[in-house]
Amino acid sequence: MSGLLVQIDDILRRRGPLLLHPTRSALLRLILCVVAFGTFYGAIMGGFGGIQGERLWQIFNSALKVPLLLLGTSLIAWPSFFVLNTLVGLRRDFARATTALMAAQAGLAVVLASLAPLTVVWYASSADYAAALRFNGLMFAIASFAGQGLLRGHYRLLIQRNSKHRWMLGTWLVIYIFVGIQMAWILRPFVGDPGAPIEFFRRESWGNAYVVVARLIYDAVRR
Amino acid sequence: MRRWLNDLDRILRGEATRLAALREESIEVPLGGLLLVIFLLAMLYGVCMGFFAGFRVGGPFCMQWFASTVKVPSLFLLTLVVTFPSLYVFNALVGSRLNLLAVLQLLVASLAVNVAVLASLGPIVAFFSVSTLSYPFAVLMNVTVFAISGFLGLAFLLQTLHRLSVARRLPPPPSPTAAAEPEKPTEAIAPQQEPEPWAPSGKEPSGEPSALDALEGHMLDRHVKTVFLSWMVIFGLVGAQMAWVLRPFIGNPGEPFQWFRARQSNFFEAVWQSLRGLFW
Repeated sequence: MSGLLVQIDDILRRRGPLLLHPTRSALLRLILCVVAFGTFYGAIMGGFGGIQGERLWQIFNSALKVPLLLLGTSLIAWPSFFVLNTLVGLRRDFARATTALMAAQAGLAVVLASLAPLTVVWYASSADYAAALRFNGLMFAIASFAGQGLLRGHYRLLIQRNSKHRWMLGTWLVIYIFVGIQMAWILRPFVGDPGAPIEFFRRESWGNAYVVVARLIYDAVRR
Repeated sequence: MRRWLNDLDRILRGEATRLAALREESIEVPLGGLLLVIFLLAMLYGVCMGFFAGFRVGGPFCMQWFASTVKVPSLFLLTLVVTFPSLYVFNALVGSRLNLLAVLQLLVASLAVNVAVLASLGPIVAFFSVSTLSYPFAVLMNVTVFAISGFLGLAFLLQTLHRLSVARRLPPPPSPTAAAEPEKPTEAIAPQQEPEPWAPSGKEPSGEPSALDALEGHMLDRHVKTVFLSWMVIFGLVGAQMAWVLRPFIGNPGEPFQWFRARQSNFFEAVWQSLRGLFW
């Protein structure tokens, strides 16, 4: 347990040891951090409709979805990151780059989990579904900002070594955000409207987040 | 198979196109093995592209999925076959010293880079194809992905052409056991081949250029520029029209399955019509 706390501390304070000796087990531990803390926040998130009877399924679904969102997006973006790093000559640093990315994700999950008690208090105070969605959005936004800062911190060593890493970091962020938005859209519902049936996906309202937003903007402009 | 993947890896890392490796005025790559790897990676991308047809609302459209899987490698290989004679002849006319085999190796290596980037973007395309219902979005996304990988393949082609012409002019190494690289006379001779221990701070000591890096201190030859521009134009035009001839790749959900659509119009006219449709 204390080992886990030390690891979390290292991640949050951007300490060096992670990058100097990137091992497969260190990477695995980071991924487990994402899963553990993401699952915890997801379970809390899904508890909006209560914890009676059928609503337990929503808690279970949301607990699965948060790590799926984070790790699934990373997995999809990873092959192109690998090939691009190789082409610009950063192959030797690739294990460290991956570890840095995972450390930032683990940090994001830890921050998210630390905001879970606030979410519980919000749920206890208000029964408004739309407000709950916005509050969770805010929690994710805060965690993402923290994750961004962590990413820059962990990547600083790499950028000092070779300035091309800065380009690669920018490319990773563009790809990750592009895929992540669509992933978050199709994994809905995360919070779960208490009035709607419990489903893993809202299949009938799948589709493309970008097309939906473009259509919204187009309609708003035309009016 | 593993050996050929290793060869692809060497090309991507830039080891196959180091100046020292290009002295013989050709790139040491196994043509047959590399063509097989290109074929397989392109097929992999075709599978990812076909997810749009495979996860249609009305039920999986397996024929279109299969068609996409087969058409992407065909597109690349047919374009190579169609353009190779003219590319070689034009290259010889401009006065380049590359012989037939060297031109083929160069083209195949560039194609390998192109297809490697394409395949690595496959998961992203597959993910969006599964989850989107919008056919124009799918088309636009695939065009963008092909453009990005094409751009990187061309960058590799340009840098390798340039290095081939530079390597030709370098003095031959004094002996087979020489350790110094002539293009970096100021760099200290490394006593060991192991990478330097990772320093927690400070810049990385300058290593070999990557596959896409421009060589320092060498301007592009005029004839290298001419060859590259003409190749880019020929390959680009033929490739685009070949893609049009082989359509449909994704499969408009509103139309029935056909292996090939009727011959009408061409790629450039279709682009022009789309642009007109957007603005008029």
